[in-house]
Amino acid sequence: MSNKHVHETNPKRTVIVMVIFVAVIVAGLLSLKTPRLTYVLTPEQTLALVTGGEGCVHPYQLVPVLNGTVDTVILIDIRNKFEFGKGHIKGAENISAYDLTNEENIARLKEFKKNGMAVVLYGNTQLEANGPWMVFRQLGFDNVMLLLGGYRYYALHKHNLAATKGDKSYLPGMADFNYAEVAK
Amino acid sequence: MNKNYLFLSLLMILLAGGLLLLPDRTNYSQIPPEDLLWDIIQPTRYVTTEQVAKMIIEQDPTLELIDVRDADAFKAFSLPNAVNIPLDSLLSPNYSDYLGIEDMNAVFYANDDMLADQAWVIAKRLNYSGIYVMKGGLNCWIKTIIQPAPPPETASLDAFDLYDFRKGASIYFTGKTITAPKSDNKSKVIVRRKKKTKATAGGC
Amino acid sequence: MGPLIPQGYITGQWEFVIALLIGAAFGFLLESSGFSSSRNIAGVFYGYNFVVLRVFFTAMIVAMVGLLYFDYLGWIDMSMVFVLPTFLAPMLLGGFIMGLGFVIGGFCPGTSYTACAIGKLDGFAFLGGFFLGVFLFSEAFPLFEKFYYSGDMGNITIGEVLHVSDRVVAFAFVVIAIAAFYVTWLIEKKVRANRTESKFE
Repeated sequence: MSNKHVHETNPKRTVIVMVIFVAVIVAGLLSLKTPRLTYVLTPEQTLALVTGGEGCVHPYQLVPVLNGTVDTVILIDIRNKFEFGKGHIKGAENISAYDLTNEENIARLKEFKKNGMAVVLYGNTQLEANGPWMVFRQLGFDNVMLLLGGYRYYALHKHNLAATKGDKSYLPGMADFNYAEVAK
Repeated sequence: MNKNYLFLSLLMILLAGGLLLLPDRTNYSQIPPEDLLWDIIQPTRYVTTEQVAKMIIEQDPTLELIDVRDADAFKAFSLPNAVNIPLDSLLSPNYSDYLGIEDMNAVFYANDDMLADQAWVIAKRLNYSGIYVMKGGLNCWIKTIIQPAPPPETASLDAFDLYDFRKGASIYFTGKTITAPKSDNKSKVIVRRKKKTKATAGGC
Repeated sequence: MGPLIPQGYITGQWEFVIALLIGAAFGFLLESSGFSSSRNIAGVFYGYNFVVLRVFFTAMIVAMVGLLYFDYLGWIDMSMVFVLPTFLAPMLLGGFIMGLGFVIGGFCPGTSYTACAIGKLDGFAFLGGFFLGVFLFSEAFPLFEKFYYSGDMGNITIGEVLHVSDRVVAFAFVVIAIAAFYVTWLIEKKVRANRTESKFE
């Protein structure tokens, strides 16, 4: 029909553009990589977790683990091999923090979670293992725990761990001074 | 009607229908967990109390101290010009514009490293740049800056230089001398908030 | 990666360069769609030519679906894209006035420029009226400033108002658009069958 606009009788160009458009989207979808690890906790949930003080293990709570009465706890030393060689908690396994997100370690952590095993991470200090602990908690491994005081505190008190129950010196966030007084 | 139109309509409906089938997208503004762990392992986020003291003394305009302790502790004592963001309200919208200011170095501190480190991990996940943790927190601040201990006589020259710096800083912060600045500089806390992004409006 | 300027990939000074490129492309497409002819534009109101509706609806649904796919693919972060604030009553009145200008003048602001670009006198006349209107509006602005800013609903989207996801809205719009294409095609066919002087380009 002659009374039609040129574009109405010839939508070929539209078809070509549309096919390119679809091709771009399909290419994008095909090249989309699904991330291997995704966060399970939102930042808000993570914040609530750390401010709530959950997921921590006190040194004296290791006693039944060390004397073998509790066998559902895996101790993981996140320091490097050298530090691990110098001394470590009895029965602990050494997985350096650099290797924690390796394929096989993630698979093992998943298995521990499935079997109801708790995993306790520790470094020299609590601070050293805090970051890795927070990462795994955010990834949804709610069986991953953090050892308060770290290896250093353990090494100092390893012969009388049970006696440290009332001790507060290993708890983080304590003010050692009355700042306002001292800094006058 | 041209067959091409039928084809186009069908294609468009299929595309739009595909949208409904897509899973929710992952949040691209957050950094991947592997990268987060990698950044956590690096010690580069830590700044020493001396570095912080030096920046305060030199009035470095890029320094933004963030006190993550609770409001009472902040009121009792805080570093000069620090902003108080209690850890539990780190993500509250009231404080979000203190973080991620361009060219600013935000330094988290608390009594020791733990709270500050936790704040750092969460802020890092949200992909804020220019964030640091003051190593040792206020406990270390007191030990090194306010009450520095002299090194043993056999210590290296560097240790004595460090001690001299700490002594000077101690005088600066405690106002032990007559020429020291007034200590009531807490009243003029000037914090530049991040500019709200404004876009140009337009139409057909 | 996008949007480029808010994410800091390029500085805000590029805004004008990008605006120029988009403007040139927009003008070219308006002209090549035949929008510099008043007949095509005003045809919507008489029922013999719905090309305006088709072009803009197509542009809208393709952009909508494309952006949502790009958002999913991580190519553009839609949460950072600026959403124009909604002032419901002033916008309704503005739309009405613009539609009136559309049917009387035979151009919308953009197409009057393309008409000028190909040397149409009616385009220049429309543009003269356009600037006169802008001038009068600016001078009289204090009179209706209150109404102009009334009913601020903020930067909301249809999905937020209806509490459904943007994807559902996009799908609904695609269906509506295609239904509109079919209905307008039927109307066009009917109206054109009765027309004797139906030659237009």
